[in-house]
Amino acid sequence: MSGTDAGVDDADTETAGSEFASGGGFGRDRPPRSDGRLDSERRQGTPYTESQVIMPTVKIVTPFAFTYGLFVTFHGGGSPGGGFQGGAIVAAVVFMIAFAFGIEATRQWLANTVVVALAVGGTLVFAGIGLVPVALGGAFLQYELLPIPDPVKYGMEGVEILGIGTIVAGVLIGLFFVLAKGFSEAGGFADADAFDDEVGDDPGTEEGDEPDGDDAADGSPEGDSVDPTDGGTTGPNAPGPAATDGGER
Amino acid sequence: MTGSLASAGPLGAPVVAQVTAIEASLFAFVVLTALFTALARDVLAAVIIFGAYSLGMAALYTFYRAPDVAMTEAAISAGVTTVLLLLTLAKTTRLDHEAAFESVNLPAAGAAGLLFAGLMLTMGDIPAVGSADAPIWSNPDVTQWYIAETYAETHVENTVMAVLAAFRGFDTFGEAVVVFAAGIAALIVLHREVFA
Repeated sequence: MSGTDAGVDDADTETAGSEFASGGGFGRDRPPRSDGRLDSERRQGTPYTESQVIMPTVKIVTPFAFTYGLFVTFHGGGSPGGGFQGGAIVAAVVFMIAFAFGIEATRQWLANTVVVALAVGGTLVFAGIGLVPVALGGAFLQYELLPIPDPVKYGMEGVEILGIGTIVAGVLIGLFFVLAKGFSEAGGFADADAFDDEVGDDPGTEEGDEPDGDDAADGSPEGDSVDPTDGGTTGPNAPGPAATDGGER
Repeated sequence: MTGSLASAGPLGAPVVAQVTAIEASLFAFVVLTALFTALARDVLAAVIIFGAYSLGMAALYTFYRAPDVAMTEAAISAGVTTVLLLLTLAKTTRLDHEAAFESVNLPAAGAAGLLFAGLMLTMGDIPAVGSADAPIWSNPDVTQWYIAETYAETHVENTVMAVLAAFRGFDTFGEAVVVFAAGIAALIVLHREVFA
């Protein structure tokens, strides 16, 4: 953040903070920061306090927890655990990072592409490993027919590691982020429009902006459709971001 | 190899049916946290106590030598569920309460007590914990067959994983797709098109 941004962030933090306090969220009586770093309300969207205890703790614990998650996933054949448990632990590591450094910062660090690739890729790999024996004239998931050495063992490991583990990790991380962002029509954030403008550079999150204005204009539930012309039509019809904000809360 | 797998494991030895101090304290912890979860008036307090309950359950599962279940309970229930509930609380309003506990609804408590008493009546027919004669353990066609044949058939030592990924692989495929569908459903319900 440059020095010019700091003043804007500060003002946002204070107004959003008072809104949250009146709404009865978590206790948020922290002083506003002047540098507009991680705990800027405008950037985070959800209540967040930069803690000098939590951040170093998470920094120390994260590598071990992540390694443990990978161990549980990759060592499922020889010890308790497997893809489901390992994937859940890996997802929990991401939650820890998000709690320490802010959900929005984590969201921007871990792009939507990664989350979707994990969930979709895992499902495709599982189905693919199951369908290879079918292509070779066997039954679904008939590991003996896989053209690899020790096919049953490594077929199972492939399903556990690349299938179940990635699906569980991807979907849990995705659920976390999408719950943090909240229902599109209701805005979710104290300053959803400001937030969306800021991260609007990322093509992946641009759609989040359009439905807000669209739904406020006509209140239709299907306002989420991605229409390139949406941005043009919402401009004259929809009230400004400030009015949208007030109506939604 | 298969013979040693069937007999060498600690599970094979019958556990003496006597309650140890660890078991008793874990039980007390789990029951108390469950009660406080139900009775706490403040939702945030209930969520945090519920996380503690899940952690106690994970320890209890470990004590009963079910590390797979314990890992799942610790990661999913104590970790992920607690975080998601906290996140939901952060997105909604949290009311201030004068009283710390809910007032107990007497008819509901009576119905729950009757159900509890009815369930306790069946306890006499349930085999002792760790009993070698328990049908779920001594069944030669299912449990003992899997324990004896898993390594020969699949070349992995973890019977649970072999059952999930190989013997019941198609079921697991369905479950994995259900998890994937849950992510899609969350996107649809929340009117979003991207996760992050």
